[in-house]
Order: sequence, then C-alpha cells, then structure tokens
Amino acid sequence: MNRFWGFLFFLVPVGGVATFAAAPYFNIWLPRDISEHGHAIDHLFFFILWLTGVVFIVTELVLFYFMWKYDAKANKKPAKFTHGSHSLEVVWTIVPAVTLLFIAIYQMDAWASAKMRPPLIPGTEEMISPTVEVTGRQFNWDFRYPGPDNELYTQDDIFRTDGKLYLPVGEKVLLRITSADVLHSFFLPNMRIKQDVVPGMEQSMWFKAKEKGGYDIVCAELCGWGHYKMKGRVFFLSRAEFDEKLEAMRLEQNTMRVAALDEED
Amino acid sequence: MLAIAAAITLAVGCSQSEPPPFRLNMVEMVSQETSDDYQQEIADVLGALFGTPDEPVALEETGLDANMLARSAGPAWSDEKGVQRGLYRKHCVHCHGISGDGRGPTGRFLNPYPRDYRQGVFKFKGTYTANRPTTDDLHAILNNGIPGTAMPAFSLLPNSSVESLVEYVKYLSMRGQLETALISYVYDELGEDDDGGRIPLDPAADPEQREIVLELLAEIVEDWEAAEQRTIAPDESQIPSDDRTPEEIVASVAKGQQLYHGKEANCYTCHGPTALGDGQQNEWDEWQKVQQKFLEETNRLAKSIQERASQDDQDESSEARLEEDKQTLAKRQEVVDTFYPIRHAIPRNLRQAFYRGGQRRLDIFWRISAGIAGTPMPGSGPASPGATANLSDEEIWNLVDYVMSLPYEPPSRSQEAIVPNKDEIF
Repeated sequence: MNRFWGFLFFLVPVGGVATFAAAPYFNIWLPRDISEHGHAIDHLFFFILWLTGVVFIVTELVLFYFMWKYDAKANKKPAKFTHGSHSLEVVWTIVPAVTLLFIAIYQMDAWASAKMRPPLIPGTEEMISPTVEVTGRQFNWDFRYPGPDNELYTQDDIFRTDGKLYLPVGEKVLLRITSADVLHSFFLPNMRIKQDVVPGMEQSMWFKAKEKGGYDIVCAELCGWGHYKMKGRVFFLSRAEFDEKLEAMRLEQNTMRVAALDEED
Repeated sequence: MLAIAAAITLAVGCSQSEPPPFRLNMVEMVSQETSDDYQQEIADVLGALFGTPDEPVALEETGLDANMLARSAGPAWSDEKGVQRGLYRKHCVHCHGISGDGRGPTGRFLNPYPRDYRQGVFKFKGTYTANRPTTDDLHAILNNGIPGTAMPAFSLLPNSSVESLVEYVKYLSMRGQLETALISYVYDELGEDDDGGRIPLDPAADPEQREIVLELLAEIVEDWEAAEQRTIAPDESQIPSDDRTPEEIVASVAKGQQLYHGKEANCYTCHGPTALGDGQQNEWDEWQKVQQKFLEETNRLAKSIQERASQDDQDESSEARLEEDKQTLAKRQEVVDTFYPIRHAIPRNLRQAFYRGGQRRLDIFWRISAGIAGTPMPGSGPASPGATANLSDEEIWNLVDYVMSLPYEPPSRSQEAIVPNKDEIF
C-alpha cells in the first residue's frame, strides 16, 4: 500500500509530459505568431521549457526511485545518517546558478530588441513618429491616430473608441501607450508583445507584423472587475489600405451632415 | 472521502437560483405615497404588459421586436450554434441593473453613475432636446462606448447582438416610463370610491382603466417612434465648406470665442472663463436632482416630526398625524438608505481633446444645439423643427470650431518636463 504513494509521484512526470504532448491537439498552445520578432520569444520559451522540463522529469524520476526502493515495508535496513556532503552542496548550487546566469545572458538580446532598441529614423538617434497612441481605461482601449500631419497631439488627430485598431503590415510601427486611470497592460498575443501601461508615464511599444488579418488585443494587468472583458481587435492592413482607412476615419470625424436616412420600410 | 463529497452534492442538489424579478421604482412610489396594495397592482400590470426579465413581452402597441428582446433577455448562455443569448445579463446588468435603473452591483463604484433608463432620458443623441434618442443614437453609444466613463465599446459583438441590446434598452425604458405614469395615475385618479373602499388598479377587470393604461402606453411609444424623425439636420447652407482657408478657420474660431464669452450662449458661466469646467458647479443632473429633492423632503419631514414630537399639548388628531408621518418617514428613510452619494453635475473641461458623446464635428454640433438632455447643459439651437433659437447654425459651427481648437491652444499644452535622463526614457 505504501508503494502506492510512490507510484502516484511517478504519475506526476508522466502526466506532465502527456499534458504538454497533447496540448497542441486541443488548441491549448501558443497563439499564431505573425510578428517579425516573435520567433525569438518563442525560441526562448521552448529552450526554457525543454531545460526545465528535462530537469523536472529527471528529478521526479529520482524521487520516485528513492520512494520505491527505500519504502519501509520492502526495505528493513535501518537508515544511515550522514553529516552532509560539502562537495555535493557546492555542485548543486553552482550548476543551477550557472544555468540561470546563462539564461539571463541568453535572453538579453530578445529583451533589448523589444524594450530598448526602438526603431529610429535612419541616420539619426530619434525614434520614428508614432503610428497611434493607445490609451487604456477601465474597461476599453481608446486609440488616437496622428492624422494627416503625422504628428500626435495636434488638431487633426483622429480619435477612435470602438476598440478596433488599424495598423500597417510589413512595417515597423511605434505605438505610444498610456493609461487614463489605473494599471493596464496592452497585450497582443499574436505579436508576442505586451507592456504594462502606467498612468502618467510615457511609454512606447514597437513591432513589425508579417501577416494581414485581425487579431486580439487583451488586457494583461488586473485593472478592476472588467479586466476580463477589456478586449480589442487589431487589424493589419497593407499600407495603401491603411492610408485609405485613415482617410475614411478622418472624414467620419469631420462629418457635419446627418447620414442619409434609410428608405421607409 | 469522494463518497462523502458525492453524497453531499446529491443532497444539496444542483438547482438554479430563482429568476430575478424587476425592481419597483421606490423613489417614485414612496414620494407619491403609493400604498402597498397599489404597488403590487402596478407591478402586476407591468408584468402583464412587459413580462419578466427572463420572459419579456413585446406588445404590438410598443412596436418592439419580440425576437430581439428574447435574445437579450434571460440568463446568459450560448446555444449549439454558438449564438450568445441573455446578452443584457452578460454585458449590461452588472452596472445598469436588472430593471435598467443604473443600480447594478458595480454601479456604486463608478463616476459617473451608470444611466438609469427608466425616465427615457438619454444624454448623447442627435435629436432635439425634449425628444427620445433614435435607434441609431443608442447604437452609436453601444458601438463607441463613452470615453471618460466606465461605459465600454461593444463594436466587437456581432451587429445583431448590438441591435438586440438597443431594443432591450428601449424596452426597459418604456417599462420604466409606464411605471411612473401608472404611479401618477393611481395618485391622481384612483383612491377611495363612494363607500370609502379603495378602488383597485385592475385594467383586466375594468375596461375604462384598461383604456387609460393603454393610452398612457401609447403616449410613451409615440414619443419613441416620433424620435426617429427628429434627428437635427444642420442647415445645409450654413455648414462650413470642406476646403476652408486657414484664415477662414481662424476667423471662425475667433467668432466662436466671442460667442463663448457672450450673453446669448453663456458658455463661460458653467464651463468657466478658461473652459476648464470650473464655472458654477452647484447644479444636479435630472437623475441626481430627483434623489436630492427626495432627500431634502425627507429631511424636512424629519425636522417637522422632531419639532412636533417635542411639543406637549397635542390633540388626538395631531397625535394620529404625527404617527402617520413617522411611518412615512420610516419608508422614506428606507429609500434614502439605498441612494449612492449624490453628486453635482460638473461642467465638462473642454480642453481634454476627446468628448463623451462622440468625436465628430456633428456630435459637438448636436451637443451645443440641443444641449445634453437631463443635464444643466442647455441647447442653443431650436428646441423643435422651425422654432426660434438663441444661436444660428452658423454661430453654432463657430462654437464647434472654437471648442475643438481649445485642447491645442498653447495654454492647453502641458510644458514638457526637462528630466536629466530624458534621452534614455522611451
């Protein structure tokens, strides 16, 4: 009966491996990556997954082995106590420390390219001008496009509050992101990029999408009771379509006439 | 262990909770001294005409679409095809309440409070001040949300869902308006009959009452239907052209500034001389005013009871009246205890660059022309088609130009802080 508990511990690594193996078939895996930069993030994810996974399985199997072999009912020899092994302690401190140091250095480039190297105007140290300003508020994402003069915070800015963000595909885009009230986090799962937005703090986010289409925007920082439904949709369009869309939105904002009333039905 | 857990589950059962009922408009009921019997009868009449939150009734007289109502009503679930049902309860009820009274569980934590539909008054619409909003107006609010408030945008829902929700909002609004009309009807017309007994409200049994109730409903429905034709269409000849020169725009803005500080529009009295919304701040919007008046009346009654109770020489009828008043006070106090903190209507800070009721020039035109229904913001345009107005359309467009230029004036632009590590901050 006591070996039963040892056996349960054995099921843990078995169950763990089975879950990860089966997950893609149930569509519980990474969302489709459509970004230029995303492969670096995914690569890091898999690297750490394999590294920690192998260590985990080995550790669990060793644990199971000891529970099975030295089970009290089957093993009558008295336990031998030791005062510890200094060299063992050194080894199992140094090895994980080196591994962690390795991971820390290995990921620096991915982090820097997402957070520290904004797209610059060629030949200068200046950031390219933002394509849109995203403001998170409880519980909606509001967008402000710079308008024809390509400068934010001027009178021709275009405001959209319907949660639909339009961006050009195949280009590096810079987003200004901020919050109107509390912490939110602007998360684009299919771009593998997210950033907490802090009220009063001017932050930027940059990426390049490789495919057209509509993808999710979700809030990734608990912001209140509506956090779960603080969704938006980002649409990547070709540059020409994007310019057309901006013009259509600009015209809509300048509407001064009532739309033609529907025919009587 | 598992066996015990299974046994407990079977014993307790898996029953669903009771379907929620509509709540009565207690402010109206108590302020018009509707007795408990009449309260029940009014609830019954409303139940017969409008149904329950789970099973709405769309009488032909209301012109509402029963299918659309059915999609919004009831518990939230999705069917085999994945079509979402119970939309109101999924998306709206936690703020706007089961009866559309703006008192859902999360309502009290919001500033501004969620809209109470029961008066049929909606702030952001394109119709004349006294008219209801059109279906398109409500649809636009649902699609764009209201930035600056907790109202999110629902444009990511299928269009049919948004339409269904709009229909349900109108349904709740008509129901609330009829409730108030019935309360007044009972107070004004019913009461005691010749033998001193109470005349019950029972339209099912009394054809005259039935006719009157249906008439009250018809008036309400007519208002809603008429609104569809009441969108303010700016006069074509006075709409600024799309290709104005910069000088023309500057001139228009200057004219708008004059009007802003002038006596016909009086904008500065509320919005402040610098348009920060720091003019007078002592008024209430309609929804808060009702509560404020109720509260003041209750306090007056309490004071009067206190004064009378301290008097020694009371005759029998005074004593009886005092007892009655004490009971009334208790009922009123119950209602007052449910109020959220009453807030003044603070005039909008016009230097913020975004607007609650829509970002289009036409939206700003509508706000200035028709004001904002339910709030102290008055309309400066005609109150109905063809009526005389304080300002002409052209002058209103001047004001639109001025207002929309305010956020970009030098005083509106914040000074950039010069921090030592500015170059390192992204």
